[in-house]
Amino acid sequence: MKSGIKKLNMWQVLAFAILALFLMFVVYPIGLILYKSILMQDGSISFSYFGKFFSKKFYWSTLVNSFKVTIASTLVSAVLGLIMAYVLRSVQIKGSKYLNILIVISYLSPPFIGAYAWVQLLGRNGFITRILNSMFNVQLGGIYGFSGIVLVFSLQSFPLVYMYVSGALKNLDNSLNEVAESLGCSVFQRVTRVIVPLVTPTLLASSLLVFMRVFSDFGTPMLIGEGYKTFPVLLYSQFMGEVSTDDHYAAALCVIVIGITLILFFLQKYIGNKLTYSMSALKPMQAEKATGIRNILAHAFVYLVVLVAVLPQLTVISTSFMETKGASYTGQFTLENYKNILTPKNISTITNTYLFGLAAILLVVVLGVLVSYLTVRKRSFLTSILDTLTMFPYIIPGSVLGISFLYAFNRKPLLLSGTAIIIIISLCIRRMPYTIRSSTAIIGQISPSIEEAAISLGATERKTFLKIMVPMMMAGVLSGAIMSWITLISELSSSIILYTSKTQTLTVAIYAEVIRSNFGNAAAYSTILTFTSVLSLLLFFKVSGNNDISV
Amino acid sequence: MSVAINIENVIKRFGKDTVINGLSLDIKPGEFFTLLGPSGCGKTTLLRMIIGFNSIEGGQIKIDGKVINDIPTNKRNMGMVFQNYAIFPHMSVKDNIAFGLKNRKVPKEEIEKKVDEILKVVKIDHLKNRMPQKLSGGQQQRIALARAIVIHPEVLLMDEPLSNLDAKLRTEMRNAIKQIQQQVGITTVYVTHDQEEALAVSDRIAVMNGGVIQQIDTPKNIYQRPANTFVSSFIGLSNIINGVLEGNENGKALLRIGNYKFQMNNIKKDCHPNSEVKVSVRPEEFIINKETEEGIPVVVKSSVFLGVATHYFVETKEGQEIEVIENSDLDELIPNGTKIHLKVQTQKVNVFSEDGSRSFIDREVRS
Repeated sequence: MKSGIKKLNMWQVLAFAILALFLMFVVYPIGLILYKSILMQDGSISFSYFGKFFSKKFYWSTLVNSFKVTIASTLVSAVLGLIMAYVLRSVQIKGSKYLNILIVISYLSPPFIGAYAWVQLLGRNGFITRILNSMFNVQLGGIYGFSGIVLVFSLQSFPLVYMYVSGALKNLDNSLNEVAESLGCSVFQRVTRVIVPLVTPTLLASSLLVFMRVFSDFGTPMLIGEGYKTFPVLLYSQFMGEVSTDDHYAAALCVIVIGITLILFFLQKYIGNKLTYSMSALKPMQAEKATGIRNILAHAFVYLVVLVAVLPQLTVISTSFMETKGASYTGQFTLENYKNILTPKNISTITNTYLFGLAAILLVVVLGVLVSYLTVRKRSFLTSILDTLTMFPYIIPGSVLGISFLYAFNRKPLLLSGTAIIIIISLCIRRMPYTIRSSTAIIGQISPSIEEAAISLGATERKTFLKIMVPMMMAGVLSGAIMSWITLISELSSSIILYTSKTQTLTVAIYAEVIRSNFGNAAAYSTILTFTSVLSLLLFFKVSGNNDISV
Repeated sequence: MSVAINIENVIKRFGKDTVINGLSLDIKPGEFFTLLGPSGCGKTTLLRMIIGFNSIEGGQIKIDGKVINDIPTNKRNMGMVFQNYAIFPHMSVKDNIAFGLKNRKVPKEEIEKKVDEILKVVKIDHLKNRMPQKLSGGQQQRIALARAIVIHPEVLLMDEPLSNLDAKLRTEMRNAIKQIQQQVGITTVYVTHDQEEALAVSDRIAVMNGGVIQQIDTPKNIYQRPANTFVSSFIGLSNIINGVLEGNENGKALLRIGNYKFQMNNIKKDCHPNSEVKVSVRPEEFIINKETEEGIPVVVKSSVFLGVATHYFVETKEGQEIEVIENSDLDELIPNGTKIHLKVQTQKVNVFSEDGSRSFIDREVRS
């Protein structure tokens, strides 16, 4: 029994250590936000900050605006994603494999880059606007405000719906289609009565993911919204604003966001549990060769959507080679932009991005694997607390996490603000729920008797974990890590709040250069980011051995 | 060399659920012992208590006279073969088998030698350097077996090792397992819900139900002289028919089913006459009587011709369905709707108390 107790302790010590980390870097900062939001300047407790928000139209209208753009973009994304997934699964499209990759790439780049690229194209002074103006001799105002935000978010988010629904369609047995046909359904009826209802749970779940993402994004409305102020923009300006900043009011705004995302999270969970059919296809739907007008329409539609989706990337890459004068382009080819960003003074932006990303990935993988192992295989009261706690960051938008970190770690003994560590930890925390979820799925696929076999053969628990579990999980964890890496290097919302000139990363630099109208540098930085993402994505395909992506 | 296993009054609880409540069992050195029962009867739970994956809430388990309750699994020196084989997919066949030896810090040359030896025993020496994923279920099972016995465990435990194999491989592997077990002579505890498998491999079988042992005996006795109606129905097929024990003089008794009376010579002497009993008759223990009125009157409902034997499904006046098996002969099958009479092979049938819990057969009497 002695050694039994000792072995139990190894896992318990780990569980306690990880719990302590999460208490310090999740519970404490968020708790502080909650506390600050009801703490008045004079030290009394009251909800008057919330009253302030809901009583002035200037404030609460941002929430209305946020809901408007979010609902509109989610709807467009859902419809577009559903149609794209169905067309690509049912009709043979030439080059669909490459289209797939392009769709994923358009999703993986940060939304605000899309916003800034669309301003270049359809803004007051954009390429396309100027062409239209001279062609029809009009003076178009450019796409800003509501329509601009919805355009950017929809194009940026439909790939998520597309990936999820496409995955669900793959699990839909074609015999269901055939049965419907034999029972007299037309093609259209088959889609509306059989296929759409069966993928509805997936469609709803992915739409809610889109909703949460769009709702808390602040870069896009900041760049393309102009007068159209959304809630995250208000939050950012209350916190970082140059005129008047009020920590406590910003904290109250954070609490409102957390409340909304919390509701959405439970809604998603509820729908996910309620509506899931378990399907596994013996004979998946085959993409068939279409003929005539149907074929032409399908190709035209798919290629058009993909082209529009990657247009921002193309714009950014091509403008990165254009000479700029102030905020406008001279039309000359140049490598000057790259020379600028690769000077010794600026190169740290790139190295920072790589270093922070790698450090965060390393941390998140080690912790994620341990937490999921503990919660799946060493179930106890302690690990179930850990399980709940580690999912917490899922509902905390990046900007809120950033703000809470600044509140929590800006004085001794917990002085971390301005350091690389604070950025690495925030990246790590933000990605943790996703890593844990995917690791949990991987562990779930490994039969417990594999571990029991090792133990019956005389291996200790530590050896079993390191020699059996870790190698078996490696492939899955590695491909998950690559996806995490791609998301982390495009992270903006918490880095923008936590960075200093020494810890600037690519996304922060792009944002800053766009704000300063240094479009050449911004484009060059963006191109490097895109290039890194594409390479990582190719590596992912190689490691995971398939083309299915879960984010 | 071989060890005995003594299980004394063990108790297993999962939370508030008591799954096994005071079970005792003695397994002899070198014996091939099978725990047989329907799913949920506690057989796997007991096996996992022996190896140490399940804790023991009461009583004790002794190996070779030593109490092992508190010894951790990795120090128990037992080999286990799992239902899903539990082959390490990232290791070659050789590394899988060598895993236990490496944990025991066996020198390298010796590992090599032992692995080669055991590969020959389980007849997969040609697969030594292959990765396991592409191998068949039977081959994976041989790896699992080799991996478990190469460490020279005191006890070999097998948890439904054949249930994932197809029928043909199952027969082949169970013969292989039996043969290898005899060759190495390890005390073996084998868990299965498949009665045919249990009959084929075991020296002795413990039939379990609801966490309680119903009977421990040799395969032959379990089949021919079941201890109660649960065992008689679980092992093979039995028709349980209501009857009356009319007279009993020194074991020579008169049994009556309806109007059909017959003499039995092996009834326990202390069984009271005029008591209601359950008569358990296997389908092959009936004699179809087409000529006279002697026997239980039944009507043929349907028949199935299976080559070696013909199965008749018949119904009594009371509406009880009975299955009868007759060796196929050249005569025509009995047409459906025919009234026939069924006699029984009196020396083979079993008689139980009315509640089915006790056998009235005196096994000392050879009739």
